[in-house]
Amino acid sequence: MTTKKENAKRLGIYLLIVFAFMLFYILCAKLMHQSNTVYYIIYMIFSFSPAIASLIARVVTNEGFRDMKLHMHLTGNIRYYLLAFGLPLICLSAMFLLPVIVSGHGDWLCGFTFSNVLSNALLLLAFSAVQSIGLLGEELGWRGYMNQKMEPLLGTVGTCLVGGIVWGLWHFPMDISGYLDGNSTFSEVLFSTFGRLAMLTCFGAFLMWLTKKTNSVFPSVIAHFMYNESQGAVMSLLAQGNIPENTSLQLWTDVMRYLPLLVIAVIFMILLLKNKKKENKTL
Amino acid sequence: MTGLVYKEWKQNRWFILSMILCGLAPLFVLLLMRGEISNIGNAPIRIGGLIAGFLVAGALQMLVLRGDDRKLWGYWITATPEGYKGFLRVKYEMIFAMVVLFLFSLQCVDRGYCAVAADMGITEIEEVSGIAVPLCFVQILSRAIDIPFVYRFGSKKGSIIKMIFMVTGAVVISVLMILNAEHFDTVIEMCKKVFNVQNSSLILSVCLVVCLALYYLSYRITCRLYLKGVEQYDH
Repeated sequence: MTTKKENAKRLGIYLLIVFAFMLFYILCAKLMHQSNTVYYIIYMIFSFSPAIASLIARVVTNEGFRDMKLHMHLTGNIRYYLLAFGLPLICLSAMFLLPVIVSGHGDWLCGFTFSNVLSNALLLLAFSAVQSIGLLGEELGWRGYMNQKMEPLLGTVGTCLVGGIVWGLWHFPMDISGYLDGNSTFSEVLFSTFGRLAMLTCFGAFLMWLTKKTNSVFPSVIAHFMYNESQGAVMSLLAQGNIPENTSLQLWTDVMRYLPLLVIAVIFMILLLKNKKKENKTL
Repeated sequence: MTGLVYKEWKQNRWFILSMILCGLAPLFVLLLMRGEISNIGNAPIRIGGLIAGFLVAGALQMLVLRGDDRKLWGYWITATPEGYKGFLRVKYEMIFAMVVLFLFSLQCVDRGYCAVAADMGITEIEEVSGIAVPLCFVQILSRAIDIPFVYRFGSKKGSIIKMIFMVTGAVVISVLMILNAEHFDTVIEMCKKVFNVQNSSLILSVCLVVCLALYYLSYRITCRLYLKGVEQYDH
């Protein structure tokens, strides 16, 4: 049985390594701005840093490489894989389309024909099977290691919240790079950072639930891929609509963007707590 | 199941890791033919390398099936708790993982090359790994056809029988085309109607998903045929 102290030590080492990579990324920002090659190499290392950190932490603490959740566990879990594909797609579509619909611009959605939507959904389905592997670099660390160590220390709700914030903060170098390059203002950076923090904290609850249900990180990898790629697909369909140039939606409609993820966070947090209760009862 | 994964890793780790090297194929070809870049152009050489990489990767993916066509192994694995279905599932998952690893390596190398080229001031460079994604599905489809033959007839006999099937199919299609030569124009017109600009992305996406579905179907077919195949293995 792993004690709380051991878990805290492992988590501490893991977070230290992850944030060291983050600091390295920020320090190299100027160099990355000057050279595409440097940018590419550092970006690749950075995007795999959670997985690298988890592997280093496992070696340093003599934990070993068991329970990395690398089995796919497909049998009996196909519905969770389908959910990993479908839910982010629906949620992201709602995030982008709800503000457009509630502000009365339904005519902008003429790109969303049945054939377009179906072909995009099928393309994403096919690509999620072969192209999502790069996200293993993140999921192996966040869901495959950090959450496991955090849950005995902070509880389920605490892990969703703190884990989500850590995950969001890890993206901070990407948010701030625009400001460092002089392409965006500091208030824009703050807006994108806090927006990402809120969204990833909410989405993290779903990923945590998926990982615990299937005992595998692969559904989370697919869900994460869908979360990233659905945005592009929805935006490309929106771009086909008759959107006048230099138009912006009212500020209050922006709140609608966060609503679908908030609903998901609440639902999956409740499901996680229910599962926890069940586990405690059987123990 | 962990035991089976361990067995496959111990037995085939060099084939699995070689997928990363296959992803470097466009770069190798580019280095070998660097004198021809000014004549042929950068992209065609890289695409040639990419196709060469696909062919080598495909051959290596088939090599992981070698050595399993033995009666004793077949009976033994059937008697284990995972059974032959578990064994075949791990094989299918491993080959799929090899395809994915190859694609990932190919894309990483290609993007890296483009980044280096951009730093060298070459502005009209384009990523060629976009072609790799559809080719990757072709590879999945090829494996979906290959694997049942290997397990039903053994690796040597299986490839010969598959070849006979393929040749027969090609001959039948050619004969049908010759016999219906007068209707050829209507067929082409029909194809043009179906594969128009509006439909093409939908057809492509359906084809990609069908490839994945066929790969799963291939697993189910292999499960059905495996024990019949074991009875016929030479030793």
